[in-house]
Amino acid sequence: MAINYKPDELMIIESARHINDGEIVFAGTGLPLVAAMYAQKTHAPHMCFVIETGPIAPQVLPVPTSVSDPKGMHRAAKLGTLREVLGCLLQRGLVDVGFLGGAQIDQFANINSTVIGDYQRPKIRFPGSGGANDIASHAKRILIICRHEKRRFPEKCAYITSPGYLSGPEGRKEAGLKNAYPDITVVTDLAVMAVDKKTGKLQVIKLMPGVTLERVQENTGFPVNSLPNLSNVALPTEEDLRILREEVDPDGEYLGKED
Amino acid sequence: MNSLKTNKIMTAAEAVRRFVFDGAIIGMGGQTIGRCAMAFIHEIVRQKKKDLTLVGCNLGMNMDILVGAGLVKRTECGTGNLERFGTAFSWRRAVEGGSVENEDYSHLAMVTRFLAGEMGVPFMPIRSLLGTDILAKKSAGTGKKYEIIPNPWDPQDRVVLLPALQPDVSIMHVQKADEEGNLIIEGFLTHEPEMIRASKAVIVSCEEIIPAEEVRRYPERTTIPYVYVHALVLQPWGAHPTSVYRYYMHDIDHLREYQRCAREGGAAYADYLDKYIYSCANFEEYLEKVGGWRKYQKLRQEMMKMV
Repeated sequence: MAINYKPDELMIIESARHINDGEIVFAGTGLPLVAAMYAQKTHAPHMCFVIETGPIAPQVLPVPTSVSDPKGMHRAAKLGTLREVLGCLLQRGLVDVGFLGGAQIDQFANINSTVIGDYQRPKIRFPGSGGANDIASHAKRILIICRHEKRRFPEKCAYITSPGYLSGPEGRKEAGLKNAYPDITVVTDLAVMAVDKKTGKLQVIKLMPGVTLERVQENTGFPVNSLPNLSNVALPTEEDLRILREEVDPDGEYLGKED
Repeated sequence: MNSLKTNKIMTAAEAVRRFVFDGAIIGMGGQTIGRCAMAFIHEIVRQKKKDLTLVGCNLGMNMDILVGAGLVKRTECGTGNLERFGTAFSWRRAVEGGSVENEDYSHLAMVTRFLAGEMGVPFMPIRSLLGTDILAKKSAGTGKKYEIIPNPWDPQDRVVLLPALQPDVSIMHVQKADEEGNLIIEGFLTHEPEMIRASKAVIVSCEEIIPAEEVRRYPERTTIPYVYVHALVLQPWGAHPTSVYRYYMHDIDHLREYQRCAREGGAAYADYLDKYIYSCANFEEYLEKVGGWRKYQKLRQEMMKMV
């Protein structure tokens, strides 16, 4: 029997698979928070959630609409300060996974969440960095979740808010970032991409079921490289989808109502 | 001013009249849709304090109202939005249109600047921002934004220095305070402790005033001692429509109503300000308009399920 799922659902489930049990995970607002919740409710029950307003190790309730939502503070080990989580845990280098979204991601996995157009008189003003620059600078591993659209994947970001590999394999090292060669993985509704450390550029490492490399290229603003033998992302099980739909986002706040 | 001898308890109108002035740099308490000092925001709008610079981490509806009312010339922050409830529409329009100047930092960068401010030192190092446009680009009104220096003990290692930030006045809403102005904040603390201690004045509204004896018996529970606090206002539900941990949830209906008006702008937005702020003599009248006791009980019950 065929499994019915939405591309967004598998994107969330696949990104959660990149979190290991017991890791310290710093999750940004929106889809990263939802996917990290899913990981905590499935294969990573000992995951330590960290949220930028200060919660450390909460059992997040479905489903926060903000990093200041009390649902994200439920049964935490500590409700601390922003300096404690972004400074003491993250900048010091204790966070295993930094989990981010983004308005634009370029071929070096740099993220723009600030402006399009001139900085002083922007054509489009986005919300800004928040903790994203700090997370992308200091987490041991960086995980990005983002819907795959051409306008979201330009060759070069109009403004680099959060560092990927900046301009090449030595980009972070040259800029002075202490964490010079992190693993960076981008999970979209079409594919999984990871930075190839020889080039500092993203390459496709897996395709979502039924998606071709041509379709990924059509929806990407830079030439897409890929591993020679691409496998497919594993399908979700009925139980995976039940947990996501009933326990993580029961009201369809992020996943949308059933069509 | 902030001695034990001073009576700090006053109305929001008096606190704003005495401590917020045209051209002030205002430290914004709360974050996004949590524990924002909305009673003070409304009072600043009614008193039309202008040419303000707003500083903080994630500035939400608190900032958006002041921008929408035309009172802000500059913002310095990590983010401007209401997260799941959408962008900060007034702010976004004002920044795109050039009427408000914004300077971008990361959240850790903002709290690092407050940390320098509270320690009384001129700058503080950070390892974030390297290689990005947060350093490379700045607004016209920003002087020297940063300096990258080698670590004096390990010259291969580099850090970014950021200037201290000391707001003229911070506006806060907290759960509990005593009559001396000792503050007990519950739940998340975000950037507030550093920002409060860095500020030249701090005005606070609270859900309840507790006996000083309770604070003196358990002083380890005090988040901020009275020495930093200049004015205290008893204002239950004073963060509406944002949430207060252990007291009430954010008001989704009202956040959406605000966002509808802010997205549309123009007459719809002017009507919002008229209905909910200008035509209200104080925050109590506003709270009646958004649903009064019945609504408060509903949001309180929602919160009680969380904690």
